[in-house]
Amino acid sequence: MTAIIALQNVTFTYAIANSPALRNVSLDVPAGQICGVVGRAGAGKTTLCALCAGFIPNFYDGRISGGAMVDGQDVIQHPVADLVRHVGLVNSNSFSQISGARFSVYEEVGFGLENLGLPRAEMVERIAWALDALQLGELRDRSPYGLSGGQQQRMVIAATLAMRPPVLVLDEPTAQLDPPATEHLADILRDLAHQGTTILFAEHRLDWTAGLADRVVVLDVGQLIAEGPPETTLTDPLLLDRYIGWPRAATLAAAAREQGRWPTGRPLPSTLDRLIAGLRAVNHRRGGTIYRAPTDHAPTDRALTGDGAEKPRAPIVALEDVHFTYPGGVEALRGVSVAVGVGERVALLGRNGAGKSTLVRHLNGLLRPTAGRALVSGTETSKTTVAKCARQVGIVFQDIRNQLFARTVRDELAFGPRNLGYSPARIDALVDRALRVLKLQDAANEHPYDLPPAWRRLVAIAAVLAMDSALLVLDEPTAGLDSASIALLTALAHDLAAQGKSVLVVSHDLDFCFEALDRVILLREGHVVLDSAWGALDDAALAALDAEVGLPLSLRAASALDLSLDSELRALLVSQERFSPITSSSQ
Amino acid sequence: MQPIYAPGTSLLHRLHPLTKVVGAALVIVAIYLLPWLLAPLALFGMLLMLAALSGVADRFLRTALRVLLPITISLFVIQGILFPPPGSTPISLGPINLPLEGLEFAFLTSTRLLAFTGTFLLLLQTTHPADLVFALTERGLPRSIGYILLVSLQIVPDMSARTTAILEAQRSRGLETQGGLRRVRAIVPLVGPLVVGALVDVEERAMALESRAYTAPGLKSSLRQLVDSTGQRVARLLMLLTPVSLMAGRIALFFLT
Repeated sequence: MTAIIALQNVTFTYAIANSPALRNVSLDVPAGQICGVVGRAGAGKTTLCALCAGFIPNFYDGRISGGAMVDGQDVIQHPVADLVRHVGLVNSNSFSQISGARFSVYEEVGFGLENLGLPRAEMVERIAWALDALQLGELRDRSPYGLSGGQQQRMVIAATLAMRPPVLVLDEPTAQLDPPATEHLADILRDLAHQGTTILFAEHRLDWTAGLADRVVVLDVGQLIAEGPPETTLTDPLLLDRYIGWPRAATLAAAAREQGRWPTGRPLPSTLDRLIAGLRAVNHRRGGTIYRAPTDHAPTDRALTGDGAEKPRAPIVALEDVHFTYPGGVEALRGVSVAVGVGERVALLGRNGAGKSTLVRHLNGLLRPTAGRALVSGTETSKTTVAKCARQVGIVFQDIRNQLFARTVRDELAFGPRNLGYSPARIDALVDRALRVLKLQDAANEHPYDLPPAWRRLVAIAAVLAMDSALLVLDEPTAGLDSASIALLTALAHDLAAQGKSVLVVSHDLDFCFEALDRVILLREGHVVLDSAWGALDDAALAALDAEVGLPLSLRAASALDLSLDSELRALLVSQERFSPITSSSQ
Repeated sequence: MQPIYAPGTSLLHRLHPLTKVVGAALVIVAIYLLPWLLAPLALFGMLLMLAALSGVADRFLRTALRVLLPITISLFVIQGILFPPPGSTPISLGPINLPLEGLEFAFLTSTRLLAFTGTFLLLLQTTHPADLVFALTERGLPRSIGYILLVSLQIVPDMSARTTAILEAQRSRGLETQGGLRRVRAIVPLVGPLVVGALVDVEERAMALESRAYTAPGLKSSLRQLVDSTGQRVARLLMLLTPVSLMAGRIALFFLT
């Protein structure tokens, strides 16, 4: 079979860089194959995507050697304009991929087709297909700028799919998608591949990659260090050595293997299905205890879930029957009562439009209740300023572009503590600590925008962490982060709780919420429908959670195995203290 | 900020954009060539009637007055009262004397401005910007200029949404934004992200346009369809000829008198 993507010994150095972004990369992808590219932030994944789509060296300047053919075209020689009929690229930042010249989602999806000069009837048919595939039908007349991040990402993917390129290149296509949309995208890509489209995608989500890719390529510092089918490549110990990590199924199976609960000689699984099959093979029913996860396994005190042994302390933030209606009349919160105490790690979950963003903005007074009370360390937010609340509550919003402005990472981190009026000595100490915790010491004097996007997010988090607030609120902190960075955040949440600080996370990343946090609050249509420790969720609560946002992989495995499983194994599966192996090896 | 365009299905909405552009040009020529003092005001009255027929009278009048009221007042004060043209005939109005020519000048200038602004306003309120730009590109406006026009229309609401988000992010980091001196100190952290973000976006936007075949060779097509008719084509021709005949008329008048 001839290769549709054929790279031969490609080495590329960006014009402004000292060392190559790609080193001697050779890769053949045959027609209809789905090839996943994994690697740490800054490993060269985005550069590889740009190369395959013809943006190197004709858009990004630099020195290139080797050969690169895509769909029979020499992508090094031809400008992108000549290649667009052969290969389509979806970038990771959806907001910057909106053309800006179209006023509705429908027209935005059609923009590329107009440029290709397609007849109208065909454009209409293709747009309808693409909108349907990405479930955008209801949004067709909305302005592209009025969409949420996830909706924009789906629109940008639809816009490229509508152009029907024989080769499709996607750079972190799931960064902003929620779990249902992520699964749905995998189905679409599989369908396209069956119809002959060749697909190359770069991803940090190894679980998703394992379920989708026919073949996986591993990049590290610009070099291709491993490749092969996902089952073997993604469970290669080399990936742990290079801090890339394993899919969760492999991590769980490795833990089971240590306890003699994984079939000897059976390879580690890369997907949930294989994990379940392997566990079923050795673990048979032992008494069928109804499972209840241990609630006392966390090393940290938990003020709220404790049974009253500890002295009750005043919560950092308390919302009391909070209602909030936007000026336009949308009722976003309808009687929410939530308190976050000292040393708590809380996940705030819910679908788009459930009221999560509105709730977060009540935690430091950015929004004030239309009815009810919001208290920050005992003071009503309506009687103080946001800046004063910032001593107690620090928020990192999802779109970090809106936050970063300083010339160096260090200045960026010092901004918050300086606003709070801390002494220069304390500011230095806080900044140094935040740099250390998120491993940004080496980048301290860099411009934040010169760093890879994943590091930029860590800078934004460090900048709020440096304020030393009692409660740290993170909105989608893991979007676009690699496993090593996510492990840093998991460790951060544990450390903060141990120091008596609290964390509240809004995220679609259920696995992270499960592994790093211990309390879960579920919002639906402006109501709190669930507020419980992960360990205390009963079957009804799990079903409610599953229906709204899905379940973390470990809980899915546990519930799939259900009664055929003994309690020890279930405890193993759902233990939150199970750090991913890259943290334990890197720290 | 709400967009100027007000969606609708009236006759004016349904006309081909070029017909409206030519019509607007004709009105503007008439504003300056018709020799009567009351002509611009009459033309504005006509525009107001058209706006009413298109269902946009309310917004039309409100926007026009909001833009022009301050200018009108200052014109009357400065040209009409403080600095009248030399040699004006004073007319007495109770205890005050007002210069007739000054008032006339102020009246004519402000009604002209009113009609001028009203013409553009009505055109933009009844024509979707994308249709207008499409019609102009069909007649030879470079695509890149059309693109820039459309982007600049969208970028304003996007920027204002981002400004709100930046304000939220920085206040959450303890930035006080109330009070005079504090507000000045807050400029860098508020404007910085907007500017840096926009600059970073530029490169990615350029990449996105390339990916979407913006520079691909070959003919382009369009999803938008503009309805034109023989009637409208004839009307456009007539409207283009009218100012020529008006000018001829004025010249003739000049020689005859």
